[in-house]
This record gives sequence, C-alpha cells and structure tokens, in this order.
Amino acid sequence: MKFFKVLGVVLLVGSLNACREKDPEPEVYELGVMVLNSGNFFDNNGSISYFKREKTTAIVDLFEKENNRAFNGGVQGYAETGEHSLILVDNDKVGLDKVEIVNLGKWTSEASLGAPDIENPRSVVGVSPTKAYVSCYGATGVYPNYFANPGYVAVIDLTTLKVVKKIPAPMGAEKMVKLGNDVFLGNASGAAELLVIDTATDAVKRTLKIGAGPQPISPDVNGKLWVKTGFSVVRLNPKTDQVEANMRVGTDPRKSPSSFAITPDGRGFYYIYSFYDSVSGVDKGETHYFGIDDTSIPGNKPVINRAFTGLGVDPLQGLIYGGVTPSYKQAGYVVRYRPSGEKLDSIKVGIAPSGFVFK
Amino acid sequence: MFLRAVRRASGLYHIFLALAISTTAFAQRDTIALEPVTVVGFAPERFMAGLKIQRLDSATLQQFRFQSIGDLLAFNTPLAFKNYGPGRLNTVSFRGTSAQHTAVLWNGLNINQPNLGQTDFSTLPVAGFERLSVQYGAAASAVGTDAVGGGILLQSSGTQPKGIRFFLGRRQASFGNQQTQAGGTYGAKVGDVLHFSGKTLYYDGRMKNKYPYTERSGYYMEPSAAEQRGFVQDLILAGKKGRKLSAHLWLTDNGSTLTPENPDARQLTRTQSRRALVQYQTPSWTWRTAFTRDLIDFGAGDYSQLDHTATDRFLTHLEKEMAWQLGGGSATVNLRVGGEAAHYRTRVDDYTAAFISENRADLFALSRWQFGPRWLVSANVRQAFVTRFDPPLTPSLGTEYRLLNGPKYHLTAKGSVSRSYRVPTLNERYWKVLGNPEIRSESGLNKELGLEAKWQPSESQQVTASLTAYHNRVDDWTYWNPDRNYRVENLQLVVARGVEMQAQWRADFPAWQTGSTLGYALNRSSQERVYNAYAGDIVGKQLVYVPVHQGTFNAYAQRGVFRFTTQVRGQTRSFTTFDNSRDLPGYVLVNLLAEVTGQRGHWRADLQAQANNIFNALYLNVGRNAMPGRSFSLNLLLTYNSESK
Repeated sequence: MKFFKVLGVVLLVGSLNACREKDPEPEVYELGVMVLNSGNFFDNNGSISYFKREKTTAIVDLFEKENNRAFNGGVQGYAETGEHSLILVDNDKVGLDKVEIVNLGKWTSEASLGAPDIENPRSVVGVSPTKAYVSCYGATGVYPNYFANPGYVAVIDLTTLKVVKKIPAPMGAEKMVKLGNDVFLGNASGAAELLVIDTATDAVKRTLKIGAGPQPISPDVNGKLWVKTGFSVVRLNPKTDQVEANMRVGTDPRKSPSSFAITPDGRGFYYIYSFYDSVSGVDKGETHYFGIDDTSIPGNKPVINRAFTGLGVDPLQGLIYGGVTPSYKQAGYVVRYRPSGEKLDSIKVGIAPSGFVFK
Repeated sequence: MFLRAVRRASGLYHIFLALAISTTAFAQRDTIALEPVTVVGFAPERFMAGLKIQRLDSATLQQFRFQSIGDLLAFNTPLAFKNYGPGRLNTVSFRGTSAQHTAVLWNGLNINQPNLGQTDFSTLPVAGFERLSVQYGAAASAVGTDAVGGGILLQSSGTQPKGIRFFLGRRQASFGNQQTQAGGTYGAKVGDVLHFSGKTLYYDGRMKNKYPYTERSGYYMEPSAAEQRGFVQDLILAGKKGRKLSAHLWLTDNGSTLTPENPDARQLTRTQSRRALVQYQTPSWTWRTAFTRDLIDFGAGDYSQLDHTATDRFLTHLEKEMAWQLGGGSATVNLRVGGEAAHYRTRVDDYTAAFISENRADLFALSRWQFGPRWLVSANVRQAFVTRFDPPLTPSLGTEYRLLNGPKYHLTAKGSVSRSYRVPTLNERYWKVLGNPEIRSESGLNKELGLEAKWQPSESQQVTASLTAYHNRVDDWTYWNPDRNYRVENLQLVVARGVEMQAQWRADFPAWQTGSTLGYALNRSSQERVYNAYAGDIVGKQLVYVPVHQGTFNAYAQRGVFRFTTQVRGQTRSFTTFDNSRDLPGYVLVNLLAEVTGQRGHWRADLQAQANNIFNALYLNVGRNAMPGRSFSLNLLLTYNSESK
C-alpha cells in the first residue's frame, strides 16, 4: 500500500513539473522570404516555403508545419495586412477553392473562406488592416466559353473573418494593385478595361480603357502605375488616368513578357521574356531588365540567360530570385543571383515556385 | 522437323492430355485453391510455372458481386491502387509498377483500353465475370504486352448445369448509391451429344455520392456522381470429346461526373466498351476471334463539345497444344504454339491523323515439362510484331520443385526468370503534341523465387502459405518529360524489388466453418537513371503511388445460414511526387459483413449487410481530397432455380 502512495506522489510531482515547464515560444516568421509554390494543379499540393535570407534551407510547407494540414490546393496568391496573411488556394475541383487566413507572424490558421463566396480566386490585396479584396473568376466553363460567369471582388472583413460583399466585375477579373485609396483590377478575358475600385465605398468608381487584357504590375518610384497589356507595357498616371508611355516589350515575334518584378529603387523592372519552342519542345527565354525612363524596350540583352517559373527582387538585398520547376512532380528550387546576373546559390522549396514575398 | 513432330504427336495427345490434366491438378501452385485447376479455359496459367498465381474463390466473388473489381482486389490482394474517388478512375499497381504494366485479360483477350494502355477498375463490376486469377510478376511470354508487373485474368461463365436460374439483385447503400442486377443462367441438352448453356446479366448502378458532410478533418469531399450500366451474354455449346463453342459479349457504359450540380463546371467522363468474343476449343486446338470497341467521351459545361476517342480492334487467335512422353514415361512435355493477329483503328481528335490504323501480331511457343511428380519446368518464348516497330524477343523460364511431399503437407520451391515488354500506348505514339512516334517498347527482366506450403493438421483444417521475393528491372520506362514540355520519352530505368507473403487457414467443423487469410507485400520500386540536372533528386526514390508496405486480412465464420466476415486493408503512405517530397498518408480500412441465406422451394434469398470503413478512417484520393467515411449497404439477391426442390 505504501508503495502505491509513494508512486502516487512521484507521479503527481512529475506531472506538476511537466505542467510548469513552459512551452517553447512559438516561432515567428517575420524577416525572411516567402515562396509561393503553386504546386501540381491536379495533385492539389501547393505550398508556401519560408526561409531566412542567410539560410540555404527552407521550411518547405510553412502552413502544414504550423497547422498540421496542407492547403490541399494550388497556391494562387498571397497578401499580408494588419495581423493577417491571406493565401488563395485553388483546388482542381469546382467548389473547393478557398482563402486561408492565418496569423501574420505565427501562421496559425484563423479562418478558411470557401464556396460559394470564393470560386477561382485570382489575386488578393490588403486594403486596410481590417479589410482585404480577393478577385475571383467565379465558376469557369469550357473553352471557348471559359469565362462562363462574370467575375467579382470579394470583400473580406478581417475582424469577423467573413466575406461581407461581392463587388461585381467583368468576366476574367484578375490581378489587383492598390495605389492610394484605389485598387486597380486587371482582366484576363481579353477585355480592354482596367477597373478602379474605391476602397472607401467598395465600389467601382471608373474604368480605364488600356488595351487587351490589362494587368496592373506595380507602381514605380514616381507613383506611376505600370500595366501589362498584350506584348506591351503601359505607364499610367493614376492621378490623371493618362497613358504616358506605351512600349512594346522586345521585338521577337515568338516571345512574350511575363513575371515583372520591380527593383528596390523603384526605377526598373526585371521580367521574363520567353516562348515555347515547338521544334525542340522546350521553353526558351531569358530574364531581362528595363528602366522606367527607357524610351524603348529592345529585349535583346538578357541579365540572366535563363527563364523561370517565378521571378522576384529582394528590396532589402537587391538579389534576383528565380523559381525553377524541374517538373510538376518534384520539388522546385529558388536560385538567387546578384543584380549583375551572377549566380549565388539555390534553395530547395515546394513544387513549382511561382512568386516571392520579401519580409 | 518441327512439323513432323507435331504430326506424329497428334495421334497421341488425347492420352497425354489426360495425363497433363491429372498432373496439373497434382501440381497445384495456387495458395487460394478452392477450385480445381481445369485445363479448358485460359490455358496460359498452366505455362506459368514458377510464377505466383492467386485465385479468388467463388464465395469471395459472390460477396463482392455488387462492387467493382477494384474493391474486390483491394481487400484480397496486396496490390496498390491509384484512386481518383468513388465511381471515378481507379487503376492498379502491381509490384511497384504502373497501371500500364498490368495485363487485364478477359477470356484470354487483353482488354486494356488501347489509347491509354490501362484498365479503369471502377468500370469492371465483379458480377460481369465468373472467375478471377491474379498473376504476379512478368508473364509477357505467355500473355503478351503489358504483363510487366502482373496480370488480372478474368473468365466468363463456363458450362452451366441443366435447368433455368433467374436472379434479381439490389444493393442499397449510403449516400444514395444503389445497384440493380437481373439475369439468369440456363442449360439444356440438345440432342444426344450437345449441351447448350448460357448466362445473361444486366446491371445498372447509380452513385449519387450525397455525403452528409462537405469535409472530413479539413479535407474536402469532392462532389461527384456516377452511373454504370452493362450487359453480359455468354452462350456455350459443349460437345463430345471436350469440344466447345462459346460466344461472349460484355457491354459496359460508365459515366462519371464531377460537380454534377454546377452546370458551368461539371465534367463528364463517359467510358464505353463493347467486347465480343467467339471461341472454339477442342482438347488440342483453341481458336478465338474478338472485336472490341472502346469509346471515351470527355466534356465539361453543357457537354456540347465532347472530346471523343474511339478505338476498334479486330483480333484473331489460334493455338494448338501437343503433348509427348519422354524417357519411357518419366517426363511429360506439353507444347502450345500459336499466334495472334490484331488490327487497330483509332479516331482521336488530337492525334497526328484523324484516322490511324495499325497491325499487331504475336507468335508464341509455350512449353511445360513435367519430370516425375515433383519437378515442373516451363519455358516460353514470344515475338510480337507491331506496325513500324517490333518489341524484343521475349523468353521466360520457370520451374517448381516439390521439396517435401508428405501425406498431410507439402512444400514447393519455385523460381522464374522472364523478360517482358510493353507496347507503347496509342496516346504515347500518336498524340499530336506530346506523343512521340519514335518511342520504343519498354522492356523488363523479372526474377523471382518462392516457397509454397500446404499443411493439413487435422481432417477439418488446412493451412497454406507462400513467400515470394522478386526483382523486376524495367528499362526504357516511358516518362512525360518536363524538359521537353512533357513529350513522352524512354528515359527512365525502374527497378522494383520486394517480398510477398500470404497465409490462409481454413477449418470446417461440423457446425462451424471458419477461416482467415493474411497477406503482406513489401514493394520497393525506384527510378535509377540520371537523365538531367534535376534527376538527382528523384534517383532511388520510391515510385509514386506505390506504398512500401501493404497488408490485407480477412476472416470469416459461418454457422448454418449465417456468415460473418471482416475485411481489413492497410497501407503505408504513398508518395505523390518523384522526389518523395509529398505523400498521401497511410491508412487502415476495416469492413464488416453479415450474410444470411434462406431457401424455400425453388427460391433462394441471399441477404448481405455491409458496414464499410467502420472506424471512419480518413484516407485521401489522388487529388488530396477525402474519401468517404463510414458507410453501409444492404444487398439482396433473389434466385429462382428450376432444379432445386
């Protein structure tokens, strides 16, 4: 009997001690690089990788590490605002797309917003610490009727973590860029208009005719908005709605520009200039640069003689980040280059790295 | 010389065939042998000495008669499956290979869909055939292309006894799923010599998949629905001296719809197959001629534009078996020689030409050498010919030797070395954008060793066990190469090796019958060739969708008209990426079945209650969405038998 008493005391003391031991402080993901890996569309295995700049290994799936579950869809977009990070998740099955909202630093899940509010989410911007916009295609159909439904912008209230409004938009609502109190909404359906949404009223206040399929890229150091349309880029004065410059990117009739990334000084853009070579069956292209004051973009002097599935420039260090996708059935790599184009190192990340967020 | 030997032998073969039958029965190699081996029917099994063959017994087939062959095999074999969801594409992986490395034979006819080179196991209901054998390892010399990892051998109904039997079956399951089956079997004497018999079956299944939940543990349920209809007709005219003329028809029509309730985004995959086969057999000759038509329609939205794939195949096959006795009767040799010719016609929108035809032919010689009661050898060779390129010559050598042979036990050692090949699919060769007209046949070399034991500890009990180790090296493995924008190329070298174990115990007591089966497989399968800068990440890694460990366990107990069964299947995680960076978690599924049979006069009723996935295990489909949790079904089969009293 005494033995059991002693045993009981030992167990009690042991368990009290165990309770007293403090949990280690949860890691906070602040300074570092987030890599958006779109994943293999049919395997629904997109992820976001995270690494500190001085490291050459990454946490491949940050969300899974912190939440013990994966996104279960492709990663389509990412934004941070207030105390939240928002991730757009695109499942290959209709009705299963969602916006995952996590705590900004800890990456613990706060909410998942899905159908019918979210269907084919394309782009996300933080409008204020308590509000975010998510542009959506709605349910898509079959080519040539791919955009079977009008698009919309879902307004997310980050205090209640709910979609509180859908701003109607034309079909193919795509990329968004916030500039001042306005959000510029691009279009993927071939329509020529850029929509300007007033973030105070959550309503479209005007439309700007730019050119086929306008996609806002980023504002430059002078506050001018750069927009891609077809094979060209346009410099737009957002105050006057005037198109100040319209330049064709390169002269190669086969190649098209994509993945624009602004330099830290806001005075130029890196971009990928590539084409699919049906003879060799290989994607061919390079990474180029143009300055905001250039009067033409010849596209004949590559900075890096290689094309990527994603491109970014770190505003802190100025390094160029290229996403490499060896195949959609294996991990991708991030290759880092100096601004001169000299290769620095590479880091293994998730499947199909397609975008970067520098913190 | 050869022809003379054939002629000389032909007068003797009746005697030797009788011998061959008896020795075959004696040298039973199967581990689940509830039926005696018969010579008539699918001959190549007899020429697969050294290979592992598992025959599923009729009680098991009966239990799964409202389910697909995929469900049946999942709980009774250590095969791996790549499952896209309930009622959707479900393909098999044999011993660490892919779906295209599995020959699926129906009455000896390879029924893999020629454009894809694989069979969707969700489209083959167990009710559609009468016998099933699973053959492990490469058997291309005996059955031809695709038998690289193994084969599924299906056989239609054979000769039926006198009288008429009608049946009507209905399955009512969770989630609004159901199936109806109606048909009959019949037999009658025609004149003094002939016996006519047949089987007719119609089945119609609907899966609404109306789950009462939209997600399971954070994984979504995919909205889907499926319809499955089919018609089976077998006619057999049996004559004197083992002569038999039979005709077999199997029509299947499967429609699988994703997000059926969304008119813009719903996706339909409709798969139809028409298979017709006429066969004439004598004790020495087998001739069959067959026609298959495989149609696939894929579309989305309003279905106004369906991608259409249509492939017809005309095939004729002739083989002859001969037998000799050597060395004054100490050895028996059976030789089966034959050939097959097939003509393919395919129409696919995205092929290099609107209409493509090709011819294929096979010549083969299969031999079986029985040296005394203990030693069996089979040596086979096959040469296939395909329009524009020829697969390699494919020999095989297998042997079995009975090490111990007591009155209540025996132990047999077996081994086999065989080449195998896979003729590239029509998609791989003719697809306009991603196909590759230069692609070659894959070629494999399979080696295996095994032991089989049978023990009868008492009159009422029987134990069988088998242990097999294999090594299968497949070169020129095709790969949709991302470096070439996913054009298919013969880039990879896959080496699969593993161990399979199986044990069965059966006891028949006066009041109780009980038994259990345990199966386990270890499959380590990896890509071994470096062909580009990033292949280093995938060399030596486990092949996708192939779990390293898998096991099944079944147990039943029967008393009188009641039978209780439990079915268990478990597997470790399976990777979904070549570099093993992502996986689908492992799981264990447990089903329970209760069955009762009632008989009154000519009528019989079989009632079966099934509880599937009783522990509500979470497991995922290929798209990382959730498979259903616990579900139930009630199956009723009513049979009228004119001969029962």
